[in-house]
Amino acid sequence: MKFSVTKEKLLEGLQQVQNVVSTRTTLPILSNVLLQANGNEVHLTTTDLDVGVRGSFEAQVEKEGATTLPARRLFNIIRELPSSEIQFDVDGKNTASIRSGQSFFKILGLPEEEFPPLPKFEGAKVVTIRQKDLRDGLRKTSYAISTDETRYVLNGVLFSFKENKLTLVATDGRRLAMLDIELEFPRSHEADIIVPTKAVTELQRLLAEDGEVKVSMGSGQIAFDLNNTLLVSKLIEGNYPNYKQVIPSEAKERVTLERETFLNSLRRVSLLASDKSNSIKLNFSKNNIEITANTPEVGEAKESLPVAYKGRDLSIAFNPEFLMAPLRNLIEDEVFLDLIDEMSPGVLKIQTPFLYVLMPMRISA
Amino acid sequence: MDCFYAAIEVRDRPALRGKPVGVGGTRDRRGVLTTCNYEAREFGVHSAMPTFMALQRCPNLIVLPTRFDVYRREAAVIRGILHRFSLLIEPLSLDEAYVDLTAHPGAPAAVAKVIRDMIFQKTKLTSSAGIGPNKLVAKIASEVNKPNGQLEVKPEEVPDFMEKLPVRKIWGIGAKTERKLEELRVKTCGELQSFSRPELVDLFGKFGIDLYDLCRGIDHRPVEPDRPRKSLSTEETFSIDLTTLEQCEERLAELFEQLMADLAQKETTRTITKIFVKLKFADFTRTTVERAGLEPSLDAFRSLLAEGFARTGKNVRLLGLGVRFAEPEKTSAQLPLL
Repeated sequence: MKFSVTKEKLLEGLQQVQNVVSTRTTLPILSNVLLQANGNEVHLTTTDLDVGVRGSFEAQVEKEGATTLPARRLFNIIRELPSSEIQFDVDGKNTASIRSGQSFFKILGLPEEEFPPLPKFEGAKVVTIRQKDLRDGLRKTSYAISTDETRYVLNGVLFSFKENKLTLVATDGRRLAMLDIELEFPRSHEADIIVPTKAVTELQRLLAEDGEVKVSMGSGQIAFDLNNTLLVSKLIEGNYPNYKQVIPSEAKERVTLERETFLNSLRRVSLLASDKSNSIKLNFSKNNIEITANTPEVGEAKESLPVAYKGRDLSIAFNPEFLMAPLRNLIEDEVFLDLIDEMSPGVLKIQTPFLYVLMPMRISA
Repeated sequence: MDCFYAAIEVRDRPALRGKPVGVGGTRDRRGVLTTCNYEAREFGVHSAMPTFMALQRCPNLIVLPTRFDVYRREAAVIRGILHRFSLLIEPLSLDEAYVDLTAHPGAPAAVAKVIRDMIFQKTKLTSSAGIGPNKLVAKIASEVNKPNGQLEVKPEEVPDFMEKLPVRKIWGIGAKTERKLEELRVKTCGELQSFSRPELVDLFGKFGIDLYDLCRGIDHRPVEPDRPRKSLSTEETFSIDLTTLEQCEERLAELFEQLMADLAQKETTRTITKIFVKLKFADFTRTTVERAGLEPSLDAFRSLLAEGFARTGKNVRLLGLGVRFAEPEKTSAQLPLL
C-alpha cells in the first residue's frame, strides 16, 4: 500500500474515528486503525467491538492495499509532522514508512485480517432523518441518560419509531427527557431500540448542521450512515421501562421562565447547596420565585426572580444539577415549568414537542 | 488450616494416612491440583500444579475429586469456633481468616493455642496461626511454623522479624516486582528499608507508598468482618490447552456449577450488575468479556465465552467466570420517578 496525502486531510480523517479506540483494551488489534487504500480514497475504521466508526479521506493512491496501525500513536505522529505533504508506504509485513519533509517514521502494524469486520446491514430497516433534527434531539435528551450500570437498559437513548414519529427518550430513574421528531416511514419500520451511551456520544460528534443521516436497524445492531462517515453500534438488549406512565397528564400551576435568567440564578444559588443533601428550594408566591440553598456550618444563598405566577404558595426542592441540565441544553428563550405539588414531578416544556420530567427531593423540616 | 481439603480427605479415609494425597481434577481430564498434603509436597508437588505434572513428580500420588460441600461444612464449624473469641473476623477463603483479638482479655498466643486445640477437637484437623500487631505480620507469621504450629511476633520484635524476611513474603510483591528488586540487589525487607518513600514511588508507582510501610512491618488495615465483596469468580488453568469452543463450553459448564454454588453460599442477596468471562491464551495474553444487565445463566456465560474465544482463535490456557456486585445502596432524599 502506498499513498500520499496532506496532513490536514489525514488528521481530519483520524479525528473522526479515533475516539472509539479504547485505551485499555485486552486485544492489541483494537488499539489499531484499519487503513484501506482504494481508488483515490483511504478508508479508516476503528472499533471497540461495541461501537465502530468508518470514515475516509482523499489521497493520491499509488498502490492499493490495507493494513492496521496503532491509532493513538499514529495520530500523535501525524499531528507533529513538519510538512503538509505526507507519504505513506506499507510493506508486506505491515511496516509503515511515513515521510514528511525531513522526518521519517517507521511504525509496526498488524495484518488487516486480524481486524474484526464491522457488521453487515443487508435487509435492515432504513429510515432517513435530517442530521440537524437528530443532533438537536440528542442534545436535548442525552444528558438524562443513566450512568448506573445496574440499570443497564437506561444506559442509552431510546429511539422509538412509531406513527411517523421518532421519539427520543433518556432517563436515569429520577428525571426523564423526551423529544419528538416528525418523520415518514412505513408501518413495518416501527421499532423501539436502545442506542448505548458511547454510540450516542460519538453520533453527536459526527452529526452536522446540514444533510441527512440514514439509519439502518439490523438485528441487535444499528448503523448511522452520514454520507462520508459510518457509525455502527450494538444495541442494548432489553425492554425500556414504560416511561409514558410517569409523565403527569395535567398540571395545577404553570410558570413561564426566561431560560437564561432562571439558569443563571440557579447556578449562583446552587453554590451553597450542600454536598450532602444537594438540593435547592424553589418557594413560589404571588409573582415571585425565591430560590434558596443552604449548607449547615457554611452559609446560605437566596435569590428572587419576578415571574407571572398566580397560583397558591408552594415550596418544592430539586437537585440543582438535574434542574440546570435541560436549561443548559435547550436553546429556546422561554421555558414553561408545570407543577402539581411538593411531592409530584415537575415538568419543563418548550413550544415544540419536548418535555423534561423531574422528581422533587423530600424537604426535610 | 493446614492443607485443608487434603487433610479432610485423609481424615475421612484413614487408609490414606501417611500417603501422598492431592485434591483436584484428574489427569485424563487435564485437571489441576487444588491442594495436596505434606507427604506429597516432599515430592515437589504443590497446589495449582497440573495433575499430570504432579504425577510425574510423585507417581504414587493419590488424586481425589473435590467435595466442596464437605469443605464448606467444616469451614462453618471452624468459623463458629472463631466467633467465640472475637466478633471481628475477616475470612480470606474457606480455610483462612483474620481474627482481631484486641478485645480479648487473654494473652493472644495462648488464645490462639486454645482456638487451634478446639478446632482439632471438633474437626480432627490441624491448623496454624500467626500472632502479630497487624494483618501483615500475623499472616506472614502464620506460615512460619506450618503445619500445626504458631508463631507470635510481638510489636517490639517486628523490626527483627522483618529485617531478614524475603521481600516476596509481602502481599503485593509477586514474581515481577521480585525480579525488579533483585536487579536492585534487594532480597530482604531489611535491604528494602534503605529506600526512601519517594524512591519507592519512583520505582513502583502508587504501591511504593504502601511498600515503604509494609517492609517495616507497618500495616494499618483494620480487620473488616463484612467488607463488601466487589465480585465473585472462579477459574481453572488447564494442564493441556483447550483448542475448540466445544471444549471450553464443557469446562464452562463445570465452572458455572461451582460459581452458582459459591454464590448460593456466600452472596445470596446482593444485586449482580455484571457477568464476565475471562480467558488466558496459550501465549499468556488475556481477554475479558464483560456484560451488564444479564442474569448469570449458563447461556449468558456461553455467549460471552463465544465472543471471547472468537477474539483470537488461540488455544485457551485458563478459563474463568464470575459476577460483579452493585455498591451497597445509599439513602437519598431524591424521590424516584421510575
